[in-house]
Amino acid sequence: MRSRPWIFVPLVLAALAALPVIVKSEYLLGILSVCFIYGIWAASWDFMSGLTGRENFGHALFIGAGAYTSAFLNARFALNPWWGLPAGAAMAVLLALVIGFPTLRLRGPYFALAMLAAATIMQRLTLIFWQYSGGEEGIPGLDPLLNSKIGIYYLCLAALVLTTAALLLLARSHGGLLLRGIRGDEAACQAAGIDVTFYKIAALVVSAACAGMGGVLYAHYQEAVTPDVFSVALSISIIIMVYVGGIGTIYGPAVGAILLALLPELLRGLGQYRLWAYSVVLIFILFFAPGGLVAPLWRRAVGLAR
Amino acid sequence: MLNILVYGAVTSAVYAMLAVGFTLIFGVARVLNLAHGAFYGLGAYSCYLLTGRLGWPLLPAALVAVLFVAAFGVAMERFLVRPLRHSALAVLMITIAVGLLFEQAMYLLFGSEARNVPAFSNATWSYAGLDVSGQRLLTLGFGIVIIGLLWLFINRTRLGSAILALSQDREGALYMGIPADRIYAVVMAISAAIAAAAGVLTAPFLTVQPTMDLLPMIKAFSIVIVGGLGSIPGSILAALLLGYSETIVAYAVSPAWTEIVSLVAVLLTLILRPAGLLGKRAAF
Repeated sequence: MRSRPWIFVPLVLAALAALPVIVKSEYLLGILSVCFIYGIWAASWDFMSGLTGRENFGHALFIGAGAYTSAFLNARFALNPWWGLPAGAAMAVLLALVIGFPTLRLRGPYFALAMLAAATIMQRLTLIFWQYSGGEEGIPGLDPLLNSKIGIYYLCLAALVLTTAALLLLARSHGGLLLRGIRGDEAACQAAGIDVTFYKIAALVVSAACAGMGGVLYAHYQEAVTPDVFSVALSISIIIMVYVGGIGTIYGPAVGAILLALLPELLRGLGQYRLWAYSVVLIFILFFAPGGLVAPLWRRAVGLAR
Repeated sequence: MLNILVYGAVTSAVYAMLAVGFTLIFGVARVLNLAHGAFYGLGAYSCYLLTGRLGWPLLPAALVAVLFVAAFGVAMERFLVRPLRHSALAVLMITIAVGLLFEQAMYLLFGSEARNVPAFSNATWSYAGLDVSGQRLLTLGFGIVIIGLLWLFINRTRLGSAILALSQDREGALYMGIPADRIYAVVMAISAAIAAAAGVLTAPFLTVQPTMDLLPMIKAFSIVIVGGLGSIPGSILAALLLGYSETIVAYAVSPAWTEIVSLVAVLLTLILRPAGLLGKRAAF
């Protein structure tokens, strides 16, 4: 243990995998499944925005796009919900290109503002075109991806582990290094002959695809979609989770998301004050722990062990 | 036709009041204030609290509401934004946290149902088949006066020149002995007060709800992007453009499509002319 702190990772994963055998409560497994989905969203946000430093204030756009696309195909055309995964990801990627192409070639806050505007307007549109989208109630009665709660738990856990691992590998690759370079000094990257716009848009596309798939998982877990999947509150919750986890580390946000999503469930009665608590946590982090909590603690643990 | 003319003007006036403050604080202090919608909402809610709960007459209530929001803006600038100014991302996050806190506080204090704020004028003006409430006309009038006063203030007073100087060249202004921090506070107060005034004026004919801050803010920065970040004439021009296009779309197509107008305008602007209509610096 002293020599290899990484041994903890398979241990924690094994514990999570063994959990359904020990805990029979479907309620708890359901909560954890949602926490894992939040983990996917936070890790995918971090891949684009944490690495390149281009804040995305409308991650819910991709989540909602995935969720609604899959819900449409499932409810209107009775398509097998598994087809929703590629379809939802494709729709999210399409939106990422539409927003990313005009905004990411520019410096300045255009990307952040356009994402926030796009997500909010999509939420309004789901209310306005209620004949197609179900309005406030959304689209209920979706088929679950798997019939047992335990199956869904494993599915969400696997999805989280796979996306986090894939995003970590990408972030450690040459391309990931370039993305970090863009955060450090975009002009220098450009001067070195790197097509920064291409890399930023590619990162956004990867991030959107993961978020869209997370949205599909969420829609079929809930067996319904509501306009809340487009809400600013969701986008901001994800950003706060990333901050708690430690921006730019990918594994940190994934863990931070699980912890923060679990928090209101553990402290009963906090559910109503969830966003209130989140914004206080955010202010605290900004002032006292700008590097986040999870990733620095992990680094310290690793450093001490060495 | 007349309908479009008048309603478009009212919408544009409200948008302009919101966008001018947003672009001012960005242009001068480089703060992208995502709590701007909260100022607007806080204005409406303070007015509701004073008139509806405490039984004040409307005029003093409206003035106190605007002053309160201006003080709130200054306090936010002083205690939350200023310590984090070294990082643009942290400033952005703190303003968004304030916006979120506003929404949640209003939920907890007043609940989610829509609230009524009394109107200054309950008269209805009818002319050639057109019916406009007095409050809307008043909003239009006040909007023009407020923006006119702001224009005079910035272009004709010493303090206004200091604001302009800071927005043009921060370092140069600092060397000239312009106290940047104090100017930022003044600009924040002005920006918050104008947003609050818009909130108080529109509250009688729009809904006062905890989530009311979001959409006007989205409109405000759509306008600011179309007009050019940091350019006040640009945002006034863009407010007219968007206000009228939305009104025309509402009449000619369907009110449902108005929400798309601002998004399309933003994307088109960023593709065709990223600096905005009257933006001075290229955004590239």
